Amino acid sequence: MQSLANVTPLKPPPRAGAIEVKNVRQVFRTKSQDVVALDDVSLEIKPGRFVVLVGPSGCGKSTLLMMMAGLREQTSGTITVNGAPIPKPDPNRVGVVFQEASLFPWLTAEDNVEFPLALRGVAKAERRAKAQDALKLVGLEGFGKRHPHELSGGMKQRVSIARGLVQDPPVLLMDEPFAALDEQTRMTMGDELLRIWAATGKTVVFVTHSLTEAVYLADEVIVMSPRPGRIVDHLQVPLPRPRTYEMLSGDAFGALRDRIWRHIRKSA
Amino acid sequence: MQAILTIKLVRIAIVIAIFALWETLSRTGLVNPRLLPSASDTFLTLGDLLQRASVQKDLMVTATEVLAAFALAVPLGALIGFLIAENRYFADVAKPLLFFAFSIPKSIFLPMFILVFGVGFAQKVGFGFFSTIFIVIMSTTTAVESVKVEHLTVARSYGATRMQTAFRVYLPSMLPVLLEALRISMIFNLTGVILAEMYASRDGIGHQIATWGENFQMKQLLAGVLMVAAIAMAFNEIVRWVETQCSHWRT
Repeated sequence: MQSLANVTPLKPPPRAGAIEVKNVRQVFRTKSQDVVALDDVSLEIKPGRFVVLVGPSGCGKSTLLMMMAGLREQTSGTITVNGAPIPKPDPNRVGVVFQEASLFPWLTAEDNVEFPLALRGVAKAERRAKAQDALKLVGLEGFGKRHPHELSGGMKQRVSIARGLVQDPPVLLMDEPFAALDEQTRMTMGDELLRIWAATGKTVVFVTHSLTEAVYLADEVIVMSPRPGRIVDHLQVPLPRPRTYEMLSGDAFGALRDRIWRHIRKSA
Repeated sequence: MQAILTIKLVRIAIVIAIFALWETLSRTGLVNPRLLPSASDTFLTLGDLLQRASVQKDLMVTATEVLAAFALAVPLGALIGFLIAENRYFADVAKPLLFFAFSIPKSIFLPMFILVFGVGFAQKVGFGFFSTIFIVIMSTTTAVESVKVEHLTVARSYGATRMQTAFRVYLPSMLPVLLEALRISMIFNLTGVILAEMYASRDGIGHQIATWGENFQMKQLLAGVLMVAAIAMAFNEIVRWVETQCSHWRT
């Protein structure tokens, strides 16, 4: 792995995107009734911010993220990324990092990272060069020839992040990317992600169940309640960066986590 | 490495022991040599048979029938299996029915195939096809179901077209299961065709083996058994080798 000092950004001027969600409503129709999954959700995410969505299961946070990725359509309301709606996936604007099992096991790490470029017919040499850069950025230089089953859980997620970043999209959406990892790896990956984010300057939207992870990573935390999914709080995290392990036991950290917990306890 | 080598040696030793036992039982007269000709005699007969034009012709007939049945059953079965797996409603309707059909011993339909097709090429190919298609349908269904939703979502999120999804996600996901299906289908196919030949036929290696049996030509009968066994094993091993080449990533 690498230390912070010798990291170079993918491109010198950071490409970061803005996201605007306006009055988004999502209704699932079942035989007996209509279930409101998201109810009048509005929020604004400024370029370069690290925003975390938290909330109990069924609050629609992943659904909302999938809509920002263009993988799902809302019943009503609008979502724009960099000023334009996103009716279908657009890898130029949005990179997505999924949960652990999302790498293709039949491809090597570098082929996995190259996958989005291969779909667009980018030439082999250029693809390989970009994949190498992305793997280097996530601290996996020299691991390109390995298959996913030869990598640890944390390394697999590094490959997923590299795949999400390889096209240099202004927005990176992450759907519980560390949920399947053990506690130690999860902490390390949190620090790694913050390092990568600092190096690339992307806008990151990150979904998680973990309150500690939310406060530790975020500039802003958006708390959602279930059935119907609504935003119940939108708080700023004023903790300085870089974040350190010692902050976890500080009063400021505890107060923020408690505030989120009280919202979630109410709705759970 | 040492352990793998030992296992291989033990395996070879077992095969040699079986042939040695066969040879001894026959040579010492513990089993009547007219019932069980010795292994060495059988191999000599096998060499002799392989040079006979009539046997070569029988092998060609059987091979043609097997390949024809295979070429019909595999694509058609794969297509049906794919449609079933992709359509929820169709799957719910058809799956139990297929399992019912699969459980029936196919040999009981053989007389009907003779009534419909007469004795000849069409009857053997038809029965081989019938013996094979159900396993192809079922394996293809399993192969399609082995494609992970997560992988499809990833492809979609990076803007994959339908064709790209088919060739870059479906095909590699399904390949190991499909190759295994191909191998097992061939076992069913070969069994079907040879059974059809033994039951009623004028040519083919199955017919020849049945005739040798009826005429109490034990050497030829055993040589025929060895011949078919070797061909079946060779095909099986070739596909298995391709399988391991294609599925090294499976753990």
